[in-house]
Amino acid sequence: MTRFIDMAEQCAYFSADYPVNIYALSEQSVTVEFGTIISEELLNLITGFNQFLVQNPFPGLITTVPAYASLTVFFDPLVVIASDLPGKFSFDKVSQYLKKIGCAKREESYTRSDTIVIPVCYGGDFGPDISAVAQTNHLSTKEVIDIHASGLYTVFMIGFVPGFAYMGGMDTRLTTPRKAVPDAKIPAGAVGIAGGQTGIYPMETPGGWQIIGRTPLKMFDVSRSQPSLLKGGDQVTFKSVGTDEFNTMLQNEYENQHY
Amino acid sequence: MKISIIKPGMLSTVQDPGRYRYLSQAVPVSGAMDQLAHRLANKAVGNDDDAATIELSYADASFRAETDILVAYSGDGAFLVYNDEIMPAEKPLFFCAGAIVNLIANTAGVWTYMAVAGGWEVPDVMESKSTYLPAGFGGLTGRALRKGDVLIHNQSVSRVSAQIFDQLRQKGIIYPDWRISRADLLPHDRHTVRVVLGNEINWFDASSIIAFLTKSYTIDRRSNRMGYHLTGTPLVRKIKKELLSTAVTPGVIQVTGSGGLVVLMADCQTTGGYPRIARIASVDLPVFAQLKPGELIRFSEISAEEAEELYLERERDLALISTAISLKYIKI
Repeated sequence: MTRFIDMAEQCAYFSADYPVNIYALSEQSVTVEFGTIISEELLNLITGFNQFLVQNPFPGLITTVPAYASLTVFFDPLVVIASDLPGKFSFDKVSQYLKKIGCAKREESYTRSDTIVIPVCYGGDFGPDISAVAQTNHLSTKEVIDIHASGLYTVFMIGFVPGFAYMGGMDTRLTTPRKAVPDAKIPAGAVGIAGGQTGIYPMETPGGWQIIGRTPLKMFDVSRSQPSLLKGGDQVTFKSVGTDEFNTMLQNEYENQHY
Repeated sequence: MKISIIKPGMLSTVQDPGRYRYLSQAVPVSGAMDQLAHRLANKAVGNDDDAATIELSYADASFRAETDILVAYSGDGAFLVYNDEIMPAEKPLFFCAGAIVNLIANTAGVWTYMAVAGGWEVPDVMESKSTYLPAGFGGLTGRALRKGDVLIHNQSVSRVSAQIFDQLRQKGIIYPDWRISRADLLPHDRHTVRVVLGNEINWFDASSIIAFLTKSYTIDRRSNRMGYHLTGTPLVRKIKKELLSTAVTPGVIQVTGSGGLVVLMADCQTTGGYPRIARIASVDLPVFAQLKPGELIRFSEISAEEAEELYLERERDLALISTAISLKYIKI
């Protein structure tokens, strides 16, 4: 059950540069694959399409899951089947609707996502792998910090564990491979590098990223209305902070109640 | 209604249909591993399917009724025993305050669900009562049940539940003469599940696809609420490109770098980067979930349309069961 869609030039989200592949992931979900590469252009297309779909839902839509180069929609097949959308099976009904939405004229420019500043205490006990990143790239640890803290990053996807943001846009001078043997325990707030991406561990888990620092912010908190601090499409900058500032912020973060 | 846990069993958690609205924040679905048994236990006490149940893995658990209670159980991991007698599954069961109830091993499967009239009451976390142990949220303060825990029911008991409760109490009996026939909803051969081929099917060579659809695979011991690993003929890839991480969902069968199969289950990650050879039809996922390490499984191919028809037929059957139970108790 795969549909390749002919691109019309006026399509707002299904651009001719990225032929779209729509397939059933399960009885309750359909994936729109926009491409097979990681790019900001693709991300913008997916973020815009996602926003437009959420504002113009089809009957039975439950939720959407954006990823690097795809958007997956979850729905209630009973509601979809009972709807008057064209098609016999819910896959046909949903994929035709997505095609229609994808090719709709773009009515408004999509809302640019938020820019979030994340304080990070780099190096020392908080960033045990910063020297490995420095050595790999023939830099000093200070240069690693300066380069990492001066970049503008884009959240490509939330995945792996609740609230884990995969961020692109990192300076290629920091590119470092994942560890051959993952660490058994990486603490919550750890800021890491894997290949050309940077990310933050929202909770203690095993992991293979090179850890260069730690943020005092709670990256995931079930008591917030949006538990994950970051979402796909957000822009992120890092701000280097000292240990004292880190400790003060950590205390504030854990004393504040979010509702 | 209230119970206290005397023995929690190997792993007992509060679960419901799952947590679907936070997938984009990488919050797993969670919920009952065997959704069919979860739903039947609920239906048997007159609940909606989304009421929270206690999921027990294997057995060796016991609890004490602290008040009069109306419960029901369903699944393949345990038999519910009262006064040395095995109680029938998929039937409402009335126990008086003080009753000691045991769950003893049923070797047929793994998971058993116990429902209470109104559902077990725990706080909603992200719109669900399901427990997600790796991050410690949902259910009873984000953890498995322990000795001494007290669980209460949700006060919003349906009219049907109230009627069942009152009738059993007045008659002084444990259960009525009707029951839901779970067997009618299960396949005769529980070692074959139906699959729909996945989006990356053409990444595998022809002999591997044939092996997948004809050979038996064994449920490995590395299996848990996140996924079941299978051992057997490894699958060889014809196309060796990388798959960019994309959304996955329980029932999806991923093929790892070494050619091994992993069937994603309730607590699976929300995205994955392994090619997907197939997915288990939603109606057969409960059957698959009950398989124990060491058991054999075969896959038989159906079309996506057939999978959807089976899904819709199953939903109609389940709706009829609820209607039939209501009609026994509510006069129109």
